[in-house]
This record gives sequence, C-alpha cells and structure tokens, in this order.
Amino acid sequence: MATKPDTVFRSLDRKAAAIVEFTLRQYRTRTSTWVVLGVGFTALALIFMIYIDVMGSEFESVDNDGDSFDYDGDGYPTGQELRLGTDPFSDESHPGMFNPPINPEPASNYINEDGFDWDVTASIGEQTTGYDNDGDCLNSDKTASQKDTNDNGIPCDIIIQITTSPTGQMSFNVIADDGVDEDPDEDAYSREATHIAFVLAIGKLGFVLLLGIFLPLFMATGLIREEMTSGTMHFMIAKPIARSEIFLYRVLGYLGIVWPYIIVLGILGALVSGFVGSGDEFFRFADLGVWLAIIFATMMATLVYGMMFNALGVLWKYGIILAIPFAAWELGMALLSMGVPDATILRFSVIGWALMIVDSAAMLVWPSLDMFILMGDWGGGGTGSDIFGSSSLRGSVPLSFFTSKPGLGLSAFASTIVATLVLLVQAVVFWFIGGVLFKGKEIQ
Amino acid sequence: MTEEFEQTIPEVLTEPDHEPEAPVTGKVRLEAAWGSTEGDEDLSVTENTAPRNEGHVFKQQYKPWNGQLNPRWMRNWAILRHHLLGIFKKGHRPWGVPIRLFLLVVFVASLTDVAMVIVSGLIGDSGLHSVWGVSRDNLYGHVLGFLPRNMLYYPVVAALLVGGVISEDRQHGTSAMYFSRPITRFDYVSMKFISVAVIQALIILVTLGLYYFAEIVSMGRGWAWILDTFPMFLATVISGVLLIFTYTSIGLALSSVSKGKFFPGIALLSIVLGTKVLAFIVSNLFDREILYLLSPYDCLAHVGQAIIGTQPTYDQYSWTWSLASLAAMNALALFTLSSRVSSMEVTRE
Amino acid sequence: MIPDFDQQGKAQTKEWTPDVQAPAILLENVSKSYGRIFALSNITLALNGGVTGILGMNGAGKSTLFNILMGKIKVSQGSVKLFGTNPWKNPAPYARVGFVPEHEKMYDWMTAHGFVSTFARLNGLTRDEAGIEADRVLDFVGLTDVAYKKIGQFSKGMRQRVKIAHALVNDPELIILDEPLQGCDPLARTTIMNVIRELGKMGRTVLVSSHILQEIERITEQIVILHQGRLLALGNLHSIRERLDQIPHRISIESENPKALAKDIIDIDEVFGISFPGGQNVSIQTHNLGAIHSRLPKIIVDNNHKVSSIDNPDDDLASILGYLTSGGRV
Repeated sequence: MATKPDTVFRSLDRKAAAIVEFTLRQYRTRTSTWVVLGVGFTALALIFMIYIDVMGSEFESVDNDGDSFDYDGDGYPTGQELRLGTDPFSDESHPGMFNPPINPEPASNYINEDGFDWDVTASIGEQTTGYDNDGDCLNSDKTASQKDTNDNGIPCDIIIQITTSPTGQMSFNVIADDGVDEDPDEDAYSREATHIAFVLAIGKLGFVLLLGIFLPLFMATGLIREEMTSGTMHFMIAKPIARSEIFLYRVLGYLGIVWPYIIVLGILGALVSGFVGSGDEFFRFADLGVWLAIIFATMMATLVYGMMFNALGVLWKYGIILAIPFAAWELGMALLSMGVPDATILRFSVIGWALMIVDSAAMLVWPSLDMFILMGDWGGGGTGSDIFGSSSLRGSVPLSFFTSKPGLGLSAFASTIVATLVLLVQAVVFWFIGGVLFKGKEIQ
Repeated sequence: MTEEFEQTIPEVLTEPDHEPEAPVTGKVRLEAAWGSTEGDEDLSVTENTAPRNEGHVFKQQYKPWNGQLNPRWMRNWAILRHHLLGIFKKGHRPWGVPIRLFLLVVFVASLTDVAMVIVSGLIGDSGLHSVWGVSRDNLYGHVLGFLPRNMLYYPVVAALLVGGVISEDRQHGTSAMYFSRPITRFDYVSMKFISVAVIQALIILVTLGLYYFAEIVSMGRGWAWILDTFPMFLATVISGVLLIFTYTSIGLALSSVSKGKFFPGIALLSIVLGTKVLAFIVSNLFDREILYLLSPYDCLAHVGQAIIGTQPTYDQYSWTWSLASLAAMNALALFTLSSRVSSMEVTRE
Repeated sequence: MIPDFDQQGKAQTKEWTPDVQAPAILLENVSKSYGRIFALSNITLALNGGVTGILGMNGAGKSTLFNILMGKIKVSQGSVKLFGTNPWKNPAPYARVGFVPEHEKMYDWMTAHGFVSTFARLNGLTRDEAGIEADRVLDFVGLTDVAYKKIGQFSKGMRQRVKIAHALVNDPELIILDEPLQGCDPLARTTIMNVIRELGKMGRTVLVSSHILQEIERITEQIVILHQGRLLALGNLHSIRERLDQIPHRISIESENPKALAKDIIDIDEVFGISFPGGQNVSIQTHNLGAIHSRLPKIIVDNNHKVSSIDNPDDDLASILGYLTSGGRV
C-alpha cells in the first residue's frame, strides 16, 4: 500500500467523501426519495406533453384589420377593394366593373397579409420603422397626408416611442400609418411567443420555484434532524470531525442526488423544447443558453434552500413549520419578480436572485424580446381578436407576464455574476448559521 | 436435565484459558464465547457449589374477565375524544405545542371577516360592510378563497394534523396499543379520520358559522334575510365539508404510507399547492384548463363556485368534471388508506 | 492540496497532536443541570488505563456523564478534558476515542462492513484502509461470517457487537461503552464481556456503564458509583467494601439446626441482629466482619453445629449500592 503525503485537505476530503457517499446511499434506500423525484419528473413531463401538443397544433389565424370581410356583399373582400380603389361599403362599386373586369380574390389572401418588419431595437426615443408589404398604404391612390397619418413626414411607416418615467419605468407607444403591418401572421408570432413564454415559465416557476423549493423541503429538512431524533447522530458526532463539517457534507450529499436530477431534467427540457419549438431550424441552439441558466439557477436555489432548511431542521424539531411559511413567502416573491423585478424587497429573498439569473440569460439570448412583446401587444392596431377587444396577439400577454428584466440596472452578464455571488453568500451564511446552531445543540 | 448440566461444566473448566479473568485472545476467546456454557452464569461460583436439584412450579390461576364490554360506539368515542381533547389540554393525545399554536393563529386569522362585519355594524359604515358583509363571494372566499386561506391556512392546518396522526403511531409503536384492544382497524382509522376532520371543521366551519351569525347580530338581520341567504350559506357549508373531507383523505392516505412525520405534511402541501401552480402555468401559457382537474384545490373551488353560485373562473369545462375528479381523488386516497391500514404490520418501526 | 480522489494508500500524520501527559479522562468539578435539576453535580474524576465500570441506577447520571465526555452536551460548570482537550469545543480527541452509544437505532440498510468502514473513514482513514480495519475489528468481535449482511437482519447482540466494532476501528486508546450488555442474550453477553476484558488487558482505558451489577463485577474490579448525579464511590470494589465497616454486614449460615446456632451466636458482642430468612438459614448482622469471622469457627466447633455453608451475600456490588444509596440504612 503506497503511502501518500498527508495534508489537512487530504484528511478532510476523506471525511467529506465518506459522509457524502453515506448520505447518497441513505437517500438511495429511501422510498420517499424516489417518490419525490418521480413525482417531480411526472409533473414536468405532463406540462411538456401539453406544450408539445400546443406546438403541434395550428394557431388560428385572425384577420386583425378586418379586410378579408366583404361588407357590401359584392364578392370582393374589403382589402382587394381598398387596394384597387373601389368603395368597400357599396356593392355598386367593385373591381368587377373595371375594364377589363378583375376577378375576386379569395378572402384568405387578406389574412396575415402584412406581417411585422420592424428592424429597430428597444432604445429610448422615437424611431421609425415598418414597411407596407401588401401595399394598402403605399397605394398610389392615396394622398400624401393619407399615407402619413402619424405626421412624421415619412409615408407608410410606424413610429415607436420609448420613454422612461423618472422611476425608470419604460413605456412604449406605437403610432402607425394606416395600413402598415396591420395584419401580422398569428401562427408565426404566437408560436414563437408561446415557445419563449413556455421556456421562461417552466424555467422560473417549474424549475426554480417548484423544484427549487420542494426538493429541499422534502430532502434537506431532515438531513441532520432525522438523525438526531432517531438517535443515529451519535455515531457521527463521536468522530474527530467538526459539526459544521458534518452539516456541510450532509448538504453536499443531498446536492449529489439533487443536482444530477436537475441537470438531467434540464437537458431533457432543453432537448424537447429545442426540437419541438418554433422556428425553421432543426434545433433551437440559441435557447440552450437560457436552459443553462435555468439549470444553474435551480442548482443555486436548491443549494441555498438546502442549507437553510437543514439549518431550520437543526434549530427546531418542527423546523418544517418554519420552512413552510418561508416557502410561501418565496412563492409570493417569485410572483412579485415577474411584475416588479426591481422591487427592493426581492433582495431579501432567495428566489429573486435565482430568477435574476434566468432573466439575464433571457436578455442575452433574446435581445429583442422587448420589441417582440411590443409587436404582439400592438398586434397591428386593428379591431381586436379577443373578447376584450384588445388587439394584442395571442401569446404576447403570457410572454410579457413571464418576462422581466434583471432588476439591478446592470448588464445581463454583470447581473448574472452579482446574483450568483449573492446566492453563494446566502448559502455560506446559512451554512454558518446551521453550523453554529448545530455546534451549540445538546444531543441527547 | 441436571445431569447434562453437570456434564458440561467440567468440560469448560478443565481449560484454564476459559476462566473469566484469563487473557482472551482470538480463537480461544471465541470458543469461550460460543462454547457450551450459557455464558451468563458466574463460573467461579459454579465451580464451588453443586447445582441445585430443587425447583418450584407455581400454581397458576387464571380468572376470566366477566365484565361487560362497552358497545362499539363507546370505544370509538373514547378514541375520538382522546384525539380531540389533545388539542385543548394535557393528558390526551399530544399534538405538539407548535401545531396547537398554529391552529390558534389560523383560527384567529380566519375570524378577520367576523371582526370586520362586527366593526362595520358598530360604526355603521355601509362601504365597509359592502366589502366584508355576508355575500356569495365572501362566503365563497371564507372557505375556498386561495389567498391567503387555501394557500397559507387550511392546507397547512391539514398538513400539520395529518403529519403524524398515523405514522407517529407506527413510529412509536402506539398503534399496537390500540390493536391489542377490542378495536377494529376500520374503527381506528375512521376515528383518526373523524378527529382530524373535526379539528379542521372547528377552524373552517365554526368560523364560517360565526361569520354568518355576526352578520345577523351586528346588522340586525331578520327572518327574511336569513331565508334568502340560508341556501347559499348551506352550500358554503357543503363545500367546506367537501374541502375538509378531501384534504383529510389525501393527507391520511399519505400518512399511512409513510413512516416519517414530515413526509405526509409536505406531500399534502406539495400536492395542493404544486398542482395548483402547474395548472396555473398551463392555463396562463396555453389557455388550457385541463390540468386544473388534477388540482384538488381547483376542483373544490370549481364545485364550490357552482353550488354557491358565484362567477365561475373555470369556463372550459363543466363543474361536474371537477366533481367527478374530486370523487376519483377521494376514492383513490381512501382505497390507499384502507388497504395500507388493513395490511399494516403492528410493529414499532 | 490535491484532493484525495482515489482514496487509496495509508493516512500518515494526524492533524491533532495529543498532550501525552494528560490522562484519558479528566473531569474537574463537573456539574450539569437542567433547570433546577442536577443531572450531575460536582464530579471530579481522572481515569487512565484499565477497565472501569460506571455503576448507577437508571437516572443516576451515567448517560449524562458519557454525553458530556462525547461532547454531546455542554457542562454547566467545571471542566472536561479528553486527552487534555475540551471535547465540546474541539472534536479532535475523538481520533483516539471509540464510543458505543446506548441507542438501539442503527442504519438498518447498511451492511456491518459498510457501517464500520464508512464510519472509520470519518477518522480520516482512506477507503482501502478503512476496509482492512473493518475486516480486522469485525473479526475481533466475531462477526466475520455476517460482515456483508444487512444490519437490519441482525439480532440485538450482533448489533451491539457491530457497534463495538465500529468503536474499535480507529484503534482507540479510550473506549466508552454505554450499557453495552443491555438486552443481550447470555451468549452475546459473554462475548462482549470477553471483548471488554481483552481491551483492558491491551492497556486501553475502557469505561463501561451498567445498572446490572453482576455484569460489571465480571468485567472489572475498578468501579465508579454514581447516584443522583453525585459521585458515591470510586476505586477497587473490595477496598470500597472494606472502607464501609460501619455499615452492617450480613453473614448467612446454612445449618441443620439454625435456632440452636442462633442462640449461641447471639452472645457475640458484635452481632446486633439475627434473622431467619427461611429454610435452614441464619442471617447474622454485624458491624465488624473480621471479629465475627475469627470467632465463628470456634463457636461452631465447640457447640458441634453442622454447618453446610457460610456466605457473605453482601460482598457484591448490589449490596454496596444499596447501602450507599440508602444512606447507610439497611
């Protein structure tokens, strides 16, 4: 047997390896571990199945500007009449009276006939963009003032005004010339928006919130406490090993089973959404960045919550009772971060920082997400496609709900780093607290 | 017997190594250990004294118990009482101080609408009364409102109560005490069920009754008003009973399958809140409400909305689907519970 | 700085260098109170080498004493030193200590070998080393055959031996056994007793607690008696007994005619009581054992009594504890 130079580190990691290995084997023998992991997998799988089903079905196309309808009953859709300069509200005036007469076009030609072609990014100020693909604005019959209803001197364009309030809140305003980008393609937009919203929702609520809180709640609360109540802790503390070390290594053992689980689930999620998601390419490689952030944020959340719930378990026999209100608080904070990502109170939560990592990644991967949401909200400015009379396109509301900006006012990259550091500090603080509590605990 | 005994002793004693104070090493020690003596006797004494030949057989007298066994309901009432009184005083089933504290907090917090009704009646503020007074929506909200009642109060109460109610008995071996008495397993479980349900009813239904009563007293309501509102009050009570029954049966099923104290509680909470969150994601994202059928809370809320008569927030399917789903959940939970309890080994685990 | 990933080879140095001069156990004026109840009060004790039995009734403070020694609870007053180090503050001395807890609960899902080797690694042993050491100690307690069976399938005595094996795996200088014989069948009991005696012969400091006196008597003569948290007696069993001369002793004589024998014996000054426990027995109570023993043979021979046995039933731990704890009253 070869003799190795021995250092404190060698000796420490021998103990660490022993406890981590022990903890993993202990988890393996418990049915509840497999039930919890299995239920988590099933629940996420269920949502992914619904997602696949939604992505596989057609998004209903809506005639946002209402020009496919033949109001005067002369057989010509309004759009065709407008384009050719006849009166759409009089059956005495239609292109069939032209010489030579023009045949009516099918109504479907006037659905989704003028999609978005915005080529600006969200920045403060007034910008002009847009192009009238179907020609119902550029139509030569119109006068110059008819072509420029938003009065900026450029015919057939869209003005996008972005302003910031003194509190830093951004507000958007879209003023379009009549007939510009007025009937976008719902299927293309909603598919993309639903996909992005799904990735963000499943990442933030499904992974970071549900997995991030419930896995530690089930698996970390009893790491020390269960050993103490069952009396087996005596074996461990009668060894030349500090109690805070036991605390740490037990948590490491817990992470040893939780982290691989999260990584596997995250990779499965990335694969499914990458293949099934919208877009022309075979696989959405760009999304992988967001999935990476989701996996990473969930791992950090399970680390911090694991340390915390373990410490709560050490603190009190009924540590779970302390953990449950905290979990409810975190749920509230998660919802708050969707609406007001820069609220100060979020800085006192764990989930606020973890979600910031996902938000930052979304900002890096989808830099024009703001404009994309704006397009959907504006939705062509038409008469509206849903029962509330809002013109916004399907998918844009959930997308804007689940999208938020990292609230620190830093760049995406800097926010990620700050959030990671804060989470690490939180984990260390809870380790320290747990270690101190454990060290001062009299074990009978 | 004594002859055999005499034969074996010298065999051991001939080897000096086997004496108690002799150095015991390896193989020899093991032979001494696993050898022919029983091991417990003091060898130094047996060496000197001869084994005694005398023995006694004590006369045994068994007296059969001729008392009258109380009727079944009386025995069951004893179990129920044991569980219920434990909430209030010592000497009965110990529920744990934190649990009792939480029950008290929830009870007081559930009385907010009662307090507001009384306040509005006292100061005669009709604006305050229109917000807090008895109405369809407020009755619904008292029992089935999500935030905070069905997020922070009632599921947590159910989780804490079911947490140890069966699993703790198994862990401590106290279930053997029940089963060594003339009590069937069915009675045992149903009394546990009823006691947990009654404690929840104390919090949910009693406060609801107080709320209704406070409205009558503080606003001076007459018979006409009572006749008008009683059907919806009754519907609220029914939905409350349904809620208590569902939470209890799911919780007890979880309690019967697990050994620990934490697991049933957390599992009940994660079922109630987890399915809710998942269904919320799906309905928001994809505009599909189908997943609500898996969430006990949403099914209860849907059925409650239908029978109380408030504006339904689930509009993609009929409330009878929710009722069917609730029936299925309860049936599954009760099946698990009964099969687990009837096959439960009465041992200390 | 490189982590020891492969976990092979032999651990070399110890992180903690013990104070060679310090005794294994040193307690100075140690008290432990729970509110107004003293579980231990003012115990001063130094132990080094040999097997020592800690005796006391249930609740006498034996487990509290061990919990203090194992750093599980904090003393209210006084100082505790294991090899010169306070175990509550620093767990390092446990590298030289083996502890057998009283609790029954073990990791039922582990094999005996797995259990022993896993916890051996907490002493800083490598995986290889721990495996070899586990084999050694399991052989020592006679569990080699079942080393790879689950602890859950073990009998009480086997579990107790697994616990002892786990405590011996780091070759400790101090071994503390909390009620190691509790609930074992006679076979297991003898094995465990032999193991303990052997450890004492190897020069280790062994601390055994029990409330069953015959057990301790068979293991050791060096005892510590605790009662209601106080140190009642300390030292050799027989010398303790001799120091208690003012406490009445009992001599039991079996004779053919106990009444006649009693009539003759009552004349001796030192005898202050005679009773007939039944059968052919006479029980004499005295303060001066030596005087009785010097005069008794003469009386018996002179009066031609037929005596089949003379016994000092008090000379065991049970009666000592009885005397001491009842404050001298019989």
